[in-house]
Amino acid sequence: MVNSRSSSGARRLALACFALLVAALFLLPGQIQGLLQYLDGPVGHVVRVPLEAIASIDVGISDRWQQYVSLQGVREENQQLRKDLEWLRGQNSQLRELAVATERLTALLQFKEQALPTMVAAQVIGRDATNRYRSIILNKGESDGIKPDMGVITPAGVVGRVVKTTGASSVVLLITDPNNAIAGLIQRTRDEGIVEGTQQGLAQMKYIPLLSTLRDGDRVVTSGLVGGFPRGLALGTITHIDKQEGALFQSAELMPEVDVSRVEEVLVIQASYGQSTKAVGGMDLPGKPSP
Amino acid sequence: MKFLFYLMFVLLLVPLQTTVLPHVSVWNIKPDVGLVAAAFIGLFAGEMEGLLVGLAIGWVLSLFSAGEFWLSLLTYGGVGLLAGFLGRQVSQVTSISLGVGLLLVSSVSGLLAVANFKNLDMPQMWGMVESIVLPQACFDGAVGAGLYWLLSQRFDVTRLRAE
Repeated sequence: MVNSRSSSGARRLALACFALLVAALFLLPGQIQGLLQYLDGPVGHVVRVPLEAIASIDVGISDRWQQYVSLQGVREENQQLRKDLEWLRGQNSQLRELAVATERLTALLQFKEQALPTMVAAQVIGRDATNRYRSIILNKGESDGIKPDMGVITPAGVVGRVVKTTGASSVVLLITDPNNAIAGLIQRTRDEGIVEGTQQGLAQMKYIPLLSTLRDGDRVVTSGLVGGFPRGLALGTITHIDKQEGALFQSAELMPEVDVSRVEEVLVIQASYGQSTKAVGGMDLPGKPSP
Repeated sequence: MKFLFYLMFVLLLVPLQTTVLPHVSVWNIKPDVGLVAAAFIGLFAGEMEGLLVGLAIGWVLSLFSAGEFWLSLLTYGGVGLLAGFLGRQVSQVTSISLGVGLLLVSSVSGLLAVANFKNLDMPQMWGMVESIVLPQACFDGAVGAGLYWLLSQRFDVTRLRAE
């Protein structure tokens, strides 16, 4: 015997509801989204409680496990060294960029003091609910001043950009996702292009001028022209150049500077260069995020 | 009581899907528990409950994904509704038929998602279908079929559907 509980009326009602929903989603997408956005905030706050609880248990278990299987002293030392390395990489990238910028600006004799960006620190509490997007979930949202299109970084370089927010959480599309596009600049040659994610989980720089003299090992940084990133943040290192006969541009594969599969804490750029009055020093950022 | 159960389930589904399941992923593919749950609720509780709980699952999961919310709503709501119809129209639902149904729905949803991507050219699109959409659909189908088989070993599923 099959399910006899729902009457044919309920069946028709269910079908009508679904048809109405489909019609509404296609005819009035903005209005439906606007309507649901009123509920996003409170629902986000409610869902954050079990999400953070399970994320903290998850972090606790993985921490314990790692301490058990590896020698504690070596692990801590290794972690410290990795942090130092990330710090130095970031600093190196910034210094290179500053050196180039200083040279250029000095030459122009038009040096202008820049305000540095303000940032908020956030913790990664999950990964994308589907497999189709490479994104991470942060434990800070609209109530912490985070908005879509803000840039997300670590001291080593760019992680991605915020695409969705609820009251208490936000979704960051990683630099390795094919839907992400960030304006990039080859540090040595000063050629600009667009950095996108690839299907393999790496990144590629497109629309590089044909006359560019780029080579493997060149570092790519943010150009600061578009989006929520200031100039000079490390994006990656060129590993392969693709120059095709008859093409208008060349492209290059990049190894992202940040290992986005292991990132645990990030900084969200709330205001870019020139928009902030509060100077928060470049590589001193991890110590000085807003609470 | 049922409402509270569904509410708790939807709330716990988010940490399960975003925090716990990445640890049990195979080749970076994790099963879509929301899709399987919507199908089971539709199958055992009818099309209306399947639709409503599916929509709730789709909406809440879309808040924690970079994907489009309309696709999420349509996928999970549609699965709940379809499973409800399947439960009513098909007298003997087997784990294989449920698994194949989930595989098809997951494939269609994945194809729509990939078609909606902005920066992909054709080879990249096929690459995504081969490396993400199809394995994901197989995984979803296998999880659904496995769960249904386990349930059918332990309970009289035909009676459960009738109650």
